[in-house]
Amino acid sequence: MSVMTDQPHQSHVLSQDVKMGGSAPFWAVFKRELGLYFRSPVAYAIAFAMLFFLGVLFNGYLSQALNAQAGVIADAGYMPFLLTFLLFLIAPLLTMRLLAEEAREGTLEVLMTLPMHEGQFIIGKFLAAWAYYTVLLLLTLVHFFVLQSLGTPDLGQTFGAYLGAWLYGGAVIAVCMIWTAVTEDQIIAAFLSAATVLVLYLADVAALFITNTNPQLAEFVRELGLSAHYGSTMSAGIIRLEDILYFVFMIIGALFITTRIVETRRWRA
Amino acid sequence: MIEVENLTKRYGEVAAVKGVSFTAQPGQVTGFLGPNGAGKTTTMRMLTGYMPPTSGSAKVAGFDVFDQSMQVRQRVGYLAESVPLYRDMTARGYLIYVGEIRGIRNVGRRADEVLDRVGLIDRAHSRIRTLSKGMRQRVGLAQALLHNPPVLILDEPTIGLDPYQVLELRSLVRDLGRDHTLLFSTHILSEAEQVCDKVVIINQGEITAQGSPAELRRDMARGGRILMRVEGDAETAAGIVRELPGVESAVVDPILDGGIVITPSGVNSDPRTAIAETIVGKGIKLVELRPLAVNLEEIFLEFTRQQAVNEIAAEADEKRKNDESDEESA
Repeated sequence: MSVMTDQPHQSHVLSQDVKMGGSAPFWAVFKRELGLYFRSPVAYAIAFAMLFFLGVLFNGYLSQALNAQAGVIADAGYMPFLLTFLLFLIAPLLTMRLLAEEAREGTLEVLMTLPMHEGQFIIGKFLAAWAYYTVLLLLTLVHFFVLQSLGTPDLGQTFGAYLGAWLYGGAVIAVCMIWTAVTEDQIIAAFLSAATVLVLYLADVAALFITNTNPQLAEFVRELGLSAHYGSTMSAGIIRLEDILYFVFMIIGALFITTRIVETRRWRA
Repeated sequence: MIEVENLTKRYGEVAAVKGVSFTAQPGQVTGFLGPNGAGKTTTMRMLTGYMPPTSGSAKVAGFDVFDQSMQVRQRVGYLAESVPLYRDMTARGYLIYVGEIRGIRNVGRRADEVLDRVGLIDRAHSRIRTLSKGMRQRVGLAQALLHNPPVLILDEPTIGLDPYQVLELRSLVRDLGRDHTLLFSTHILSEAEQVCDKVVIINQGEITAQGSPAELRRDMARGGRILMRVEGDAETAAGIVRELPGVESAVVDPILDGGIVITPSGVNSDPRTAIAETIVGKGIKLVELRPLAVNLEEIFLEFTRQQAVNEIAAEADEKRKNDESDEESA
């Protein structure tokens, strides 16, 4: 039976006509989550706080640079660099809700009985958070344009800094997804996420402490950390394949772990 | 069609479901009846692909719930016990979201159709948080119907509804049962009797009985126990009945509100006439004398509390014997 006309259907009679083959499930999840970000006051509060904070620092930086020689005003990588530092606060706030809330409200049970793999669901959520972060990152371009009107920022360096900050954000958000999958408590998820991001951020500092006793281990720890792959390389416009791979593998690895956690939680439920 | 064979779910040492087997036929409402914690939800979660069984197998619409989970999920509509919904979405928005995940292309129209089916079309654009419990239940049901699945699994759909809503939902379930394989769970016995074509009774993770309400009733009546009620002292009456030939035991059962449960000694013996004559002959007013299990409530108690009742009976017999020996020695 198929009802193809636009006639109003009869009450209490279901047309058996369900057309399948829509877009991939992750796309529906992505659209919903992204919509939630832009409808939630928290997302705007994050954007406001970030712009305010960066604006104040930019102002200080600018007045300093203007007092010095004109050539100094070239570092457009400063703002994305600051944003990546702020990620230890921003990323947990963006991700803490994503899976913890679904687990607590029980909506995960319904989703996991739909014909969708856990991975699709998690990728959809991750992409939404990353997309929101991308918007934040693009907002900082306003500083680039200010710099451009005052001097001549290096376009190559700017591109590298922004590409790096973008990948950096993706990796950090993916890592935070793990914690929101582990616990139903959003606050705990946010706290553990922030701690993890800080540890990864400060790995190069930790490496300094052991560099005399065990230089090989120190190098390893430094390479594990986020800063080694951004602060001194991409942020300065040096685009290295190993740095890009570091962030990409971190995203894939963290999302894989998150998927397995959601799977096992369901199996134990 | 749902075929469950020897399905078992263990959580560490504890088995929530132990070797459950039953089938649910298309065009029928199959009721899954049991007290809270009997393993109803666990079984249903295994059937919907939410959790894998520890052992045993189950086929839904011809597909194995473990090996072909995605095919099963495409063919099952599931209403979870707590009806989890996104409170900030509208009823229609939620259905569209679920429909998009399911890959339904004409999802907007399908959402309207199922909202109409559950009688919620006028609240389509209300946020779910503003809907009453009964309406939310119907949103959940609409979600289960969205992809027009051949199999519906509804976990305690009438829980928390007011009496009028319960009646509405039951008639909807009966209605849906005609063109679906419908499995629904309940701990309310009269509900199972009213709605179901077939009842599967589960207790402590095991199936204790299954069949149509009429079949269960017949099984219980055959060689089954007898319920007697009298005016006045039930213990005295029970004592008299106990002495009759063909009577194994007669016990006053507190569960049945002071009714006397009589167990005949043989499978085919029916001592009712003898009981009636003797009781009336002793000048005791007989109020009721009938096979014990005539409604599901009693069938249920019979099956799930058999052990408990037997224990009570054994205890009473013991006591009686002691009393007798006391009398003899006196």
